[in-house]
Amino acid sequence: QTAPSQAAAQTSGIQGQNIFEVKPEASADPDYLKQSNGERNKVQPGNNAPMWRQVSGGITGYSSLPLTEAPEAGNLIQRFVQYPGSRYTNAGEAWRQVRNNWIIPYGAALLFVTLLALVIFYFARGPITLHSPETGRKIERFTPFERATHWSNAIAFVTLALSGLVMAFGKFFLLPVIGASLFGWLTYALKNVHNFVGPLFVVTTAFMIVTFIRSNWPSKDDLQWLMKAGGLFGGTEPPSHRFNAGEKVVFWGGLLFLGSIVIGSGLFLDKLLPGVVYVRGDMQVAHMIHAVATLLMMALIMGHIYIGTLGMKGAYKAMREGDVDETWAREHHKLWYDDIVAGKIPAQRSAVQPAARRAGAGGIST
Amino acid sequence: MARMKFVCDSERCIECNGCVTACKNENEVPWGVNRRRVVTLNDGVPGEKSISVACMHCSDAPCMAVCPVQCFYRTEEGVVLHDKDVCIGCGYCSYACPFGAPQFPSQGNFGMRGKMDKCTFCAGGPEVNGSEAEFEKYGRNRLAEGKLPACAEMCSTKALLAGDGDVVADIFRTRVVQRGKGAEVWGWGTAYGSKVAGNPPVEGVKK
Amino acid sequence: MLLTPRKSGPAVGGAAIAPALPFIDSLRRGLANALPTLDRRAFLRRSGIGVGVGLAAGQLTLMRKAAAAEGPVSRVGAGKVEVKRTVCSHCSVGCASDAVVENGVWVRQEPVFDSPINLGAHCAKGAALREHGHGEYRLRYPMKLVNGKYERISWDTALEEVSAKIKELRQASGPDAIYWIGSSKHNNEQAYLLRKFVSFFGSNNCDHQARICHSTTVAGVANTWGYGAMTNSYNDMRNAKVAMYIGSNAAEAHPVSMLHLLHAKERGCKVVVVDPRFTRTAAKSDEYVRIRSGSDIAFLFGILHHIFKNGWEDKKYLEARVFGMDKVRDEVMTKWTPDKVEEACGVPEATVLKVATLLNENRPGTIVWCMGQTQHTIGNAIVRASCILQLALGNIGRTGGGTNIFRGHDNVQGATDVGPNPDSLPSYYGLAEGSWRHFAAAWGVDYEWIKKQFASPAMMTKPGITLSRWIDGVLEKNELIDQDSNLRGVVYWGHSPNSQTRGLEMKRAMDKLDLLVVIDPYPSATAAMAAMPGAQGQVNPNRAVYLLPACTQFETSGSVTASNRSLQWREKVIDPLWESRSDHMIMYQFAQKFGFANELVKNYKMQKVKGMDEPVPDDILREINRSCWAAGYTGQSPERLQAHMRNMAAFDVSTLRAKGPLKDKVNGYDIEGDYFGLPWPCYGTPELKHPGSPNLYDTSKHVMDGGGNFRANFGVERDGKNLLAEDGSCSLGADITTGYPELDHVLLKKLGWWEELTEPEKKAAEGKNWKTDPSGGMIRVFMKNHGCHPFGNAKARAVVWNFPDPIPQHREPLYGNRPDLAAKYPTHNDMATFWRLPTLYKSVQDKNIADNLARKFPLVLTSGRLVEYEGGGEETRSNPWLAELQQEMFIEINPKVAAEKGILNGARAWVHTPTGAKLNVQALVTERVGPDTVFMPFHFSGHWQGVDMLPFYPNGAAPVVRGEAINTGTTYGYDSVTMMQETKTTVCNVEKA
Ligand SMILES: Nc1nc2c(c(=O)[nH]1)N[C@H]1C(S)=C(S)[C@@H](COP(=O)(O)OP(=O)(O)OC[C@H]3O[C@@H](n4cnc5c(=O)[nH]c(N)nc54)[C@H](O)[C@@H]3O)O[C@H]1N2
Ligand SMILES: Nc1nc2c(c(=O)[nH]1)N[C@H]1C(S)=C(S)[C@@H](COP(=O)(O)OP(=O)(O)OC[C@H]3O[C@@H](n4cnc5c(=O)[nH]c(N)nc54)[C@H](O)[C@@H]3O)O[C@H]1N2
Ligand code: HEM
Ligand code: HEM
Ligand code: SF4
Ligand code: SF4
Ligand code: SF4
Ligand code: SF4
Ligand code: SF4
Ligand SMILES: [Mo]
Repeated sequence: QTAPSQAAAQTSGIQGQNIFEVKPEASADPDYLKQSNGERNKVQPGNNAPMWRQVSGGITGYSSLPLTEAPEAGNLIQRFVQYPGSRYTNAGEAWRQVRNNWIIPYGAALLFVTLLALVIFYFARGPITLHSPETGRKIERFTPFERATHWSNAIAFVTLALSGLVMAFGKFFLLPVIGASLFGWLTYALKNVHNFVGPLFVVTTAFMIVTFIRSNWPSKDDLQWLMKAGGLFGGTEPPSHRFNAGEKVVFWGGLLFLGSIVIGSGLFLDKLLPGVVYVRGDMQVAHMIHAVATLLMMALIMGHIYIGTLGMKGAYKAMREGDVDETWAREHHKLWYDDIVAGKIPAQRSAVQPAARRAGAGGIST
Repeated sequence: MARMKFVCDSERCIECNGCVTACKNENEVPWGVNRRRVVTLNDGVPGEKSISVACMHCSDAPCMAVCPVQCFYRTEEGVVLHDKDVCIGCGYCSYACPFGAPQFPSQGNFGMRGKMDKCTFCAGGPEVNGSEAEFEKYGRNRLAEGKLPACAEMCSTKALLAGDGDVVADIFRTRVVQRGKGAEVWGWGTAYGSKVAGNPPVEGVKK
Repeated sequence: MLLTPRKSGPAVGGAAIAPALPFIDSLRRGLANALPTLDRRAFLRRSGIGVGVGLAAGQLTLMRKAAAAEGPVSRVGAGKVEVKRTVCSHCSVGCASDAVVENGVWVRQEPVFDSPINLGAHCAKGAALREHGHGEYRLRYPMKLVNGKYERISWDTALEEVSAKIKELRQASGPDAIYWIGSSKHNNEQAYLLRKFVSFFGSNNCDHQARICHSTTVAGVANTWGYGAMTNSYNDMRNAKVAMYIGSNAAEAHPVSMLHLLHAKERGCKVVVVDPRFTRTAAKSDEYVRIRSGSDIAFLFGILHHIFKNGWEDKKYLEARVFGMDKVRDEVMTKWTPDKVEEACGVPEATVLKVATLLNENRPGTIVWCMGQTQHTIGNAIVRASCILQLALGNIGRTGGGTNIFRGHDNVQGATDVGPNPDSLPSYYGLAEGSWRHFAAAWGVDYEWIKKQFASPAMMTKPGITLSRWIDGVLEKNELIDQDSNLRGVVYWGHSPNSQTRGLEMKRAMDKLDLLVVIDPYPSATAAMAAMPGAQGQVNPNRAVYLLPACTQFETSGSVTASNRSLQWREKVIDPLWESRSDHMIMYQFAQKFGFANELVKNYKMQKVKGMDEPVPDDILREINRSCWAAGYTGQSPERLQAHMRNMAAFDVSTLRAKGPLKDKVNGYDIEGDYFGLPWPCYGTPELKHPGSPNLYDTSKHVMDGGGNFRANFGVERDGKNLLAEDGSCSLGADITTGYPELDHVLLKKLGWWEELTEPEKKAAEGKNWKTDPSGGMIRVFMKNHGCHPFGNAKARAVVWNFPDPIPQHREPLYGNRPDLAAKYPTHNDMATFWRLPTLYKSVQDKNIADNLARKFPLVLTSGRLVEYEGGGEETRSNPWLAELQQEMFIEINPKVAAEKGILNGARAWVHTPTGAKLNVQALVTERVGPDTVFMPFHFSGHWQGVDMLPFYPNGAAPVVRGEAINTGTTYGYDSVTMMQETKTTVCNVEKA
């Protein structure tokens, strides 16, 4: 390390004031640590420690750019934070650590494990079938409106999930396959789809909640059902009302709870909430919440989708066509069935009645 | 191989915005996008210091790490560039970047940002060097012409130095020795993992 | 606001070469992009980009020589590429810049590392020069105000109508009824030509920015020691050991000068900043002193008090080279005791002593000042106090010392030297008959003919009205003004309206005019103000308003004088944009209408620009070279200047001197020994090869090496005391080692050196002095053969007996917040006629005190600059690259005051001033200002007391950013020597909006 001294020797003329010449007692001042940068510069010229401390504290300085156009222009460097799972470091870096070290790998793992579990379950247990033969008499399980609501919600969700998955994981599985250009265009499209379908999902979710909240109202039987895990792993399926506790978990935990979080954070990320100044720190938090909640939600809905399709015979048809066989209702939703038989709930709620169904439905009610 | 870096000497910077406009001029950067900006701390009180900041072309760049489409790449000179054809405008790089370098042409709702733009160290982008397409998307490729960044070349006080890390560190160190103070090279700790100008940074090592 | 980059458009833009078809192009790119990018990245792995190579990094420049063995890098388009060397047109630092022009379009701007002045550096304005090649917000064609709207007219119509109207007014009210506001933006040739033009028109009613900029400096400093200019240079500040900035915010106003200061600072130079505000310059200081605005004399004399008290003055120097310091000393010791100093300027004794000690211990030291000192009713006295301090320290005429007076506009120095001044002809020749005869001869016209152009011979020698007071020339009662008619027509030829004080009254004056002509690339501020409806019944129904598009300095060539007195030659970068024409072409065309075109251009060749005749700037400079002896504008021939511009690298950054013999490749001129830009005075003919004067009055050098001494301009004796330098004090190697008077034929004969003249020289010099000898022979003999200085060798004057306050006196401003101090330090008495106008002092101050004005307006209002904008600002606010950086007019308020008034940072505020004006601005709450002071930048216009003036702008010519102009609200007050307007100290009140 000769360069500095050489350089010093080369400079002719007067030498600059040397920090080492500063009186040693400068730092003995009891208020030394409280000094402003100006005060510190006075006793120790060139010692800008107070300022650098401010800077890493994320303090925002002056920038001539207008706040309305560049709210963060005055910030030199993001403040130090510790997000769950990160070290105490620069916020940007901390966010990167959370996303790249936790959300991405563990999120992928969660989805993978869920998928794997479902596959194993499918092969181990197979679909849940009816024990008794179908009667051919149909009960209207979902009105066309309910179905429309569900499917628009489902389509929105799947769109969001697929696009979200590509954003989050695409570079690991898609990019190497299709190349950067194509992947870029695809993801660009999906990202925009995600950004616009997100608000759509907000609307469909609202409809879902309104539509299904009554039937999902918790009841005593749910506990029973839950304790027996719905009979999924053996034993008989406990009786339930229109929706069993498992479905209620999807409703309350998935749709309502996680859904709200996803929606809230999503709207924030989309910059759609009015009157908010969108700064990076908040975006990071919103993103982390969004990512965690969506991952959990995706895992949950994967289970839901499994049950709704492969997992249970007749379920998908119920949501697609609207009606279920009397036997299906009796076996899976005993209490609901009882109510219908008792006439407490009409077997046909919608005005539009498919001719094929009318006969059967009429049969029960008599 | 040379490793490109910026040093902004806060003992010299006078917030004249020469660097900012030089960049606008050379790269035809539109209104609203500021690849470089100047920040003043302790504005108007003793101890005031200004610092010009743009992308620092980090050794272990957070932007690069979080980009969902992996559109960043690093040139042999250590310049962090990105491909606007691939960029999806998700904004993640801007969340991750400690320095607020990534910029977006729009601030719209629905996350509409347009393609990210940031300081290229005047090294253009993935298009053919000196091509019109490169200029339109990324600005000039001065490095390919054998020139250094416009902002540093025009800096009114030579506060802003750009170039091979060893060389700029040397110049900076000479000044520090001469004035006997102000040894902190701003941003190097975060960007290059080494707080000391002149200590060769350890490439790619995580802090 | 979101601006998108220009895509195409006539003759503008970097990538103006449009692709064949946008659609096809994007398709092509789209397809290309659909391919995997892997291969394209391989492009990056080109050879030859080894960056370690050739990275030649000096202490201050950092550039990489184009070491690339890569061959020509393919560029945008492939047209004809030329590089034109030009000079920034914004401030007096004079930063050089290379313009890359492709097919006539300015496509790139490159730094000129070779320039010893800026070493490639630029501030925001300089780095944004290329925008001038876009000119999107400029006036594109002549326009005329018709029923409150600007309508396009042709140039022919415009010239015809304007000249007819001027002739009509001249006929009715005489030539003095027209006021010509020239410009410090004009190059030397244009500024000079305008003075000649106005003279041929028969008037002295012309002026330019210097009036409201450094006029007090020019008068005060010239009267102290000879020339009213910066004594040293920006570069020379590298040699200073202490630099005191008092009334200069160089970091914003002369940013690139800081390059040199900070270099000095790194070598140990101490920096002191004295300013009411903690400026960006203060941020770089070792010692910052906050003073009350307008109280500089108290502070400067406070320092001097300590210097005298401790015997720190340079006694030998004072004895040999300074007159009257004893009188100053007596006054300072009695009047400026520390308690009085503290009372007047608010600085405690300890601080004053500390600064005095710094100045004493570090020599040579320099003082830098600018508008903080000049723009006061006592500006002439403040600047002299600074001179006196430097004289006492023996710092004048020394490398690293001097008074480094930072001038304003890019060519305000040149326009002051050779341009349109109401009290002098070019090169400071007064208006006496002798001067007129000198110039008549140089111009090749008959003296009697010029005389006949004037209203009367008396008006020919009477200084005109000043720019700062043209509004009074219009509004004042006719019987009170000292010329026949009031002003009826005003020509704004490169000047903004919002830079003059008393905006409300200016609006009235504008409405009252018969003719308003604006010749400017950006005439819009004046245009909008004129088009804005005036008060009922006060608008002259016959008023005619015309806007004529001038081109900028990048669309013509010519020389420009930087603050350090160096001249630089600008090459023409591009052809005039739109329908704009160069100022000298417009002068010629008006002269044609007025019938004196042949006289005007008699000595010039003409060239065709866009098919029209225009005088060749080189020839105008040659005429300057043949006539402007007094200021030493005679050595700077176009050839010498152009050779300097092409060989900048040869000049030393610290001394500015060419390092060795070097012949210019184009014209063969050898620059050896020259100082860069031949800083004036560059005496004698170009053939004499005087190298220019880097530091004035420097006796350590031979006069032919740029040395000198103080000027003999004030006689040889005063009160029985010798005014010439004492024996032994003279420039190095002078044959006369005593003081001596200025050179004339008598002196030369007496000395027996007459015979050294050639025969033709003798003939020319007979009966002449060095300023009027057209051959330059006397100067040659005196300087080259005998090492003597043509303007003599005398003492500097600490006492300027011909000024109202021979020893600088502190006087309180007319509008102040300290009536107690005004009682102790009252202003001057009113003057009945001063520059043709009655001028008030005491009556205004007394009335303000009687009205208890300080209670209603308790805050001192000062104003100044922002780095991004320049002057009235219309030009720079039309530059989107700059405009983006400062989008709001604001007022700096101390947090304490803001809290009292409930004003939040970033909120709107109303500023009320004593004129009744109210300004709506954004509050910037900052400790930059103390609780008694507020500050506003003066670069904004386009809002008028809360109303946006956009509807009144000519279509398409409004700047990008508009805001309230501070001068809408500024008050009355003028310097007692030069009529400088008071813009640095007035009062106001601020309220939450
Ligand atoms: N960016 C930019 N640069 C410019 C210009 C521009 O418009 N913009 N204009 C050019 C021109 S024309 C000029 S003349 C120069 C002007 O250059 P400067 O004079 O340096 O600039 P100002 O900001 O007008 O004033 C300087 C300082 O004087 C302080 N001041 C006010 N009152 C007093 C006082 O009573 N005493 C003292 N000691 N200080 C006081 C102000 O607070 C301010 O900080 O700048 C030139 N350079
Ligand atoms: N309150 C307050 N007022 C001030 C000051 C202050 O500090 N405070 N400072 C004062 C000072 S120091 C000055 S110098 C003045 C400056 O004030 P101005 O000189 O009035 O300001 P600019 O806007 O620079 O005016 C120059 C004009 O010339 C035009 N121009 C540029 N190039 C050319 C050209 O080649 N030809 C022609 N014809 N026109 C051209 C520009 O477009 C612009 O309109 O303001 C003064 N006013
Ligand atoms: C409910 C289903 C949703 C799922 C499964 C989902 C999933 C995801 C995923 C995986 C990401 C990427 C995270 C990463 O790459 O780190 C993401 C990002 C994002 N999501 Fe969602 N999301 C959902 C709903 C929403 C909604 C309702 C909105 C808006 C209203 C929304 C707006 C966003 C935004 C703005 C981003 C950031 C990326 C960008 O700007 O494109 N998302 N989402
Ligand atoms: C492709 C995706 C999906 C399929 C195949 C599917 C399938 C089904 C089926 C078959 C039912 C009827 C179950 C029954 O009859 O009891 C159902 C009900 C329901 N689904 Fe889905 N679903 C999907 C996505 C979603 C999504 C994304 C959500 C919400 C985020 C959702 C929420 C619901 C709700 C709330 C019900 C009503 C039962 C309850 O309240 O628990 N579904 N779904
Ligand atoms: S400064 Fe920001 S944008 Fe630049 S490389 Fe580092 S993280 Fe990326
Ligand atoms: S905005 Fe573009 S560059 Fe930035 S992370 Fe997103 S895709 Fe990558
Ligand atoms: S290096 Fe180039 S792109 Fe980056 S800030 Fe400087 S001028 Fe702009
Ligand atoms: S040009 Fe230089 S001095 Fe000016 S703001 Fe930029 S870094 Fe600072
Ligand atoms: S405005 Fe002055 S300091 Fe800035 S670039 Fe132009 S000449 Fe240089
Ligand atoms: Mo000025």
